[in-house]
Amino acid sequence: MSWSDALRVAWSGMWGSKLRSLLTMLGVIIGVAAVIVLVAIGNGASQAVSSRIETLGSNLLFVTPGGGTTFTASQVAAIQHELPMTALVVPELNSGGKVSSGTTVGPAALTGTTPQYPALGGISIAYGSFLTAQNLTALQHVAVLGANQALTLFNGSNPVGEHITILGQTFRVIGVLNPVGQGPGASQDNTIFIPLPVAEFLVGSDSLSNIVVKTSSPTAASLADSLLTNLYTNQYGANAVTVASEDQVLSALSATHATFTDLLAGTAAISLLVGGIGIMNIMLVSVTERTREIGIRRALGATREDIVLQFLLESMTISLTGGLIGIALGFGLMRLSPLILKSPAVFSPDSVVLAFVFSTAVGLGFGLYPAIKASRLDPIDALRYSG
Amino acid sequence: MIRIKNLIKDYPMGRETFRALHGVSFHIAQGRLAAIIGQSGSGKTTLLNILGGLDTPTAGEYWLDGKLVSQFDQVDWSHERNHTIGFVFQSFNLVPALSARDNVAMPLIYRRAPLKTRRRLAEEALRQVGLGDRLHHRPTQLSGGQQQRVAIARALVGNPPLILADEPTGNLDSHTGEEIIELLRHLNRQGHTVVIVTHSPEVASQCQEIFRMQDGRLVASEATG
Repeated sequence: MSWSDALRVAWSGMWGSKLRSLLTMLGVIIGVAAVIVLVAIGNGASQAVSSRIETLGSNLLFVTPGGGTTFTASQVAAIQHELPMTALVVPELNSGGKVSSGTTVGPAALTGTTPQYPALGGISIAYGSFLTAQNLTALQHVAVLGANQALTLFNGSNPVGEHITILGQTFRVIGVLNPVGQGPGASQDNTIFIPLPVAEFLVGSDSLSNIVVKTSSPTAASLADSLLTNLYTNQYGANAVTVASEDQVLSALSATHATFTDLLAGTAAISLLVGGIGIMNIMLVSVTERTREIGIRRALGATREDIVLQFLLESMTISLTGGLIGIALGFGLMRLSPLILKSPAVFSPDSVVLAFVFSTAVGLGFGLYPAIKASRLDPIDALRYSG
Repeated sequence: MIRIKNLIKDYPMGRETFRALHGVSFHIAQGRLAAIIGQSGSGKTTLLNILGGLDTPTAGEYWLDGKLVSQFDQVDWSHERNHTIGFVFQSFNLVPALSARDNVAMPLIYRRAPLKTRRRLAEEALRQVGLGDRLHHRPTQLSGGQQQRVAIARALVGNPPLILADEPTGNLDSHTGEEIIELLRHLNRQGHTVVIVTHSPEVASQCQEIFRMQDGRLVASEATG
């Protein structure tokens, strides 16, 4: 039998039972579409991280105490003393708690910090102003809201001048930030910023979460990195204080996203595998149903190899057609995903190749056993078979 | 055309073996119309399966069209069935999903004949059996006699020298059966060697040679004309 005839026979076999073929294909369609869409979503998330590395550069350093060491506000001055005057040193005291606007109550991330915080980059003021030096020295109970907090607490209306309750104490809202959106800064949208001394008082501790250092250039950042690492190693011993540049932090995050993408792709691949088992199931039924046809074909001159080819091509036609429909569906869903997910889905050609290769392999792998089974039928029994 | 010598066929039956053929020998010359007759269990169907290469003998020699085919493997036999033999079955054995023309053209697929040639030859064969106007009918849309004609067209489409018919009238009324036998006789007159397996003496009486099987043995052979 020639290849073109084998294909024609396989196609008419599939076409002969349209609904069943379509249902069988559905497993592959869903699997392939899932691989493409989920990989695109995972890619979108990790690309948001890497684009942030590119736009911000790597002139930020995160100094985080650990291993029994604690930092207080006095440490800020100590770091400032170590580094050139151009460096910006900003402390953060992170906490969390219940926040209420009188009508709405919800959780909030709290950051106690200084007026220099916006100079680190990444955030901008939408309404009002950020914390001022006077807010800090006068221990004023004022707050700046992240975009999401403003939205949840005040339903989008300008909250400047309104009052909110944080951990039982009343604060006056003096500013609202613009949304940061996706990426590692997204948490700032859910944060409420208050003066550092007020935060120390509210939380009941003056131990800082970390200190952020901004230098004038990436070169200065790596210089500052080694300077501070030396300083703290001498002072507290190795590894007591972590000094990490922003790109180190972000690439760690990026690696997490890559793992996440792999996980999504793996999950999707499992659904493809299930689709393959569906193909095998249907092909076994088809072989049984067409036992007599197999007997006839053998009697008329088909070799065992011809029979294997016929059924293998039929299962591959199903899985490949399913694969192509799945790729089309995956593209469609990817286009729609911004409407549902907010995150941009980034198409990866690899995922199409992966899906295509996988669906071919599924058709081949799961079609092989039924095809061989068909070819091993005894022609005499097959001709007598009455299903 | 066909020469068999001391053909033996054993079937395993649990621990025992059942001997279906006890050393059968005969010769059918090219261009003959022969009948193998016997009651059910006489071994005639086993013999036909071996003649058609669907089963292999346990011992003995089988010469088909000048070739010693008794030890052929499945690939050789597939080729032989395709080129040398046309089958006609009691239950027609047409593929229900295919049209009459596609059923008839099927043996030519395994000869790698081009699609156009296959269609032309299939249409010719269908016209030859009087079904030139039923090319696109499905088997279920045809009467039993018409289905058997399609099957005969399929047997002769590749122009094989030998046509093996297994109870070709078994599922047909006597009038239709008569027409089918007449069609097979017509093919025989055109030069095909035709072997009919039957339990019907009326059918056998219209053949030139009759081989009578009983209990796995050839008990009588007569030649007329």
